[in-house]
Amino acid sequence: MKILSLSLFLFLSIPSYAKINIIASSQDLKSIAEYVGGEEVSVESLSPGGFDIHFIEPRPSMVFKLKKADMVVKIGLDLDMWTDSLINAAKNEKIFYGKEGYVDASAGIDIMQKPDKKIDGSSGDIHIFGNPHYWLNPENGKIIAKNIKLGLLRIKPEKKEYFEKRYSDFCRKIDDKMKVWKSDMSAFAGEKIITYHNSWIYFAQAFDLQVAANIEPKPGIPPNANHLSFLFELIKKEKIKIILVDNFYSLNTPKEIANKTGARLIVIPSSVAGENSASDYFSLFDVIIKKIKD
Amino acid sequence: MKKILFLLIFNMFFYNLKAQENPVLSEGTPLQGMRGKTLNLPDISALGNIVGYISDDSKDADKNQLSINEVEIAFQGYIYPEMRADIITAIHKHDGDYESEICEAKASFLNLGYGFSAEAGKIHIDFGKVNKLHTHHLPTTDKPLMLEKFFGEHELAGQGAVLKYLIPIFPFYSQIQAGFWDINAHSHAQEEASVLDITGSTITVNSLLHDDSSFSPSDKVYTARWNSSFDMNGQKEIEIGLSGLKGRGAHYQEHKDNVEMIGADITFKWFPDSYKKWTFQNEWMRLKRDIPVGTLNRDGFYSFLNYRADKYWDYGVRLDYSENAWPQISYERSFSAIITRHLTETSYWRITGKHRNINGKNISEGWFQLSFGIGPHSHELE
Repeated sequence: MKILSLSLFLFLSIPSYAKINIIASSQDLKSIAEYVGGEEVSVESLSPGGFDIHFIEPRPSMVFKLKKADMVVKIGLDLDMWTDSLINAAKNEKIFYGKEGYVDASAGIDIMQKPDKKIDGSSGDIHIFGNPHYWLNPENGKIIAKNIKLGLLRIKPEKKEYFEKRYSDFCRKIDDKMKVWKSDMSAFAGEKIITYHNSWIYFAQAFDLQVAANIEPKPGIPPNANHLSFLFELIKKEKIKIILVDNFYSLNTPKEIANKTGARLIVIPSSVAGENSASDYFSLFDVIIKKIKD
Repeated sequence: MKKILFLLIFNMFFYNLKAQENPVLSEGTPLQGMRGKTLNLPDISALGNIVGYISDDSKDADKNQLSINEVEIAFQGYIYPEMRADIITAIHKHDGDYESEICEAKASFLNLGYGFSAEAGKIHIDFGKVNKLHTHHLPTTDKPLMLEKFFGEHELAGQGAVLKYLIPIFPFYSQIQAGFWDINAHSHAQEEASVLDITGSTITVNSLLHDDSSFSPSDKVYTARWNSSFDMNGQKEIEIGLSGLKGRGAHYQEHKDNVEMIGADITFKWFPDSYKKWTFQNEWMRLKRDIPVGTLNRDGFYSFLNYRADKYWDYGVRLDYSENAWPQISYERSFSAIITRHLTETSYWRITGKHRNINGKNISEGWFQLSFGIGPHSHELE
């Protein structure tokens, strides 16, 4: 009888000590969820570091991960649209749209470049809800953290104090780091830059840069001779010194532009684990800013 | 059986009611199928498939043509929490004429609880690895040969329902499913012929015609499939599947044939970096037809190797072998080389060269394909 009681006690006790199993669609969201959730969570990302999140192929093994999840954290804005079919296939009632374990990290973000006219294929692979690369402004990291915190509170309200403290610490650390990062980037304030894909406007917003043009003439469309001529002229005319390229894109065209114009080609990770030294959300910006400064 | 059915239906309503009574509001991006905002429209999309075809077969009436081969119109949306509806209609080119049909029209119960889900309506049957795919989702211009021989020109689709169960006890993805279907029988093409009867008088009789592409399982058909997937270090994956089918032949009225099919598939995928991808997919099927004079066993397989070199270009080769479904056995082997250029996420063009050996006769063919999509279009995990 005692053994039975003990077993029952242990069985009932397990849920309150079990970690919240979070599946994030990107390494950035994983990093933030790990910070806010602390010891109460175990987090896994569906995307490896250094991969273009547009092109992640949903696979059955991902369904298996979501089947066991208590919470899913999505980038949203159609960037990780592939998670929708995975969530449906996982048949896990905790993480369906609108359920307590469903977190869309984009909620509350001031979305840039929301289309204000009809869009179709002539605009390239444009996102109908606006530019989805919002995590590249550290200030938006705080909103992502808030969304994750709210999800955690829905699942484990008894840990409110713990999650609130972790969230506050995260925001404070962002504020502290922002002072350093802004100071480091002050030499580039107001400078125009070229980027490969239209993925750096939130970063530019945070550090007072201006994205003058992209190497892709339209999102997802490879550069052609006419567009390259336009870029050569623009770079010379505007005296643009920096070309930022996410490290998963082909470097052939960016190198050609850099060689012809003298602009500096900077190859950087655009997400956590995009390279070894970008091991979390804070070090991601350390790495990016160090590469721009160097 | 009745108890299980009752429990499933009970669960279906219980879970959906719970979803309605206790909503946890979530802001953020609406799901595919939840667009349309205040207009309350479903996701509406159109897909087109333009195909040019050349061949050195002098008897091929379809050669040297460029035409729109298929247009697909889809309406997709949610009809209830965790219940979605997909209506996909298609206009196909068939023997030179265009025919419209309901390609799929189904309601999906995404969460019946305890790992169960279900679909009901007209559905592409999940038999093997490729049959479920719509034309524009295929990695090749044409379907693998054995599907044409065993299922006919179109995908094997039936009116019915399928119940799926995600097995929770294994430390890897594993799903089983069982379906029951009603599939329309084929009507025999008939030709009239004049013959002499035993009295020496001339009478007119009907003779039955069939060709290799017109066979498929039909009538009441029962299917089952098990598929699993094994993740290897996050960038490599092996998927395996076993399928089974029991039913009648499409010409049962004439041939009195009972049909059984089994299939096995194995796919290896490797993602070395963000855009590069290797796919090695192999599938085998066996068709068993019990006809009054005996049993026919027919085999078919294909092996497909594809390399995605970057975000725009795919290069693939496919080897096919299949026997026909008819009493007089014939075989066909083919080798295809495929190059695909992706334009956007839903549009691409493709060139395919194919060498066929049909009972020793060699034929070379070529295709140009332009597939395009307009509007939001989604499919379940395939």
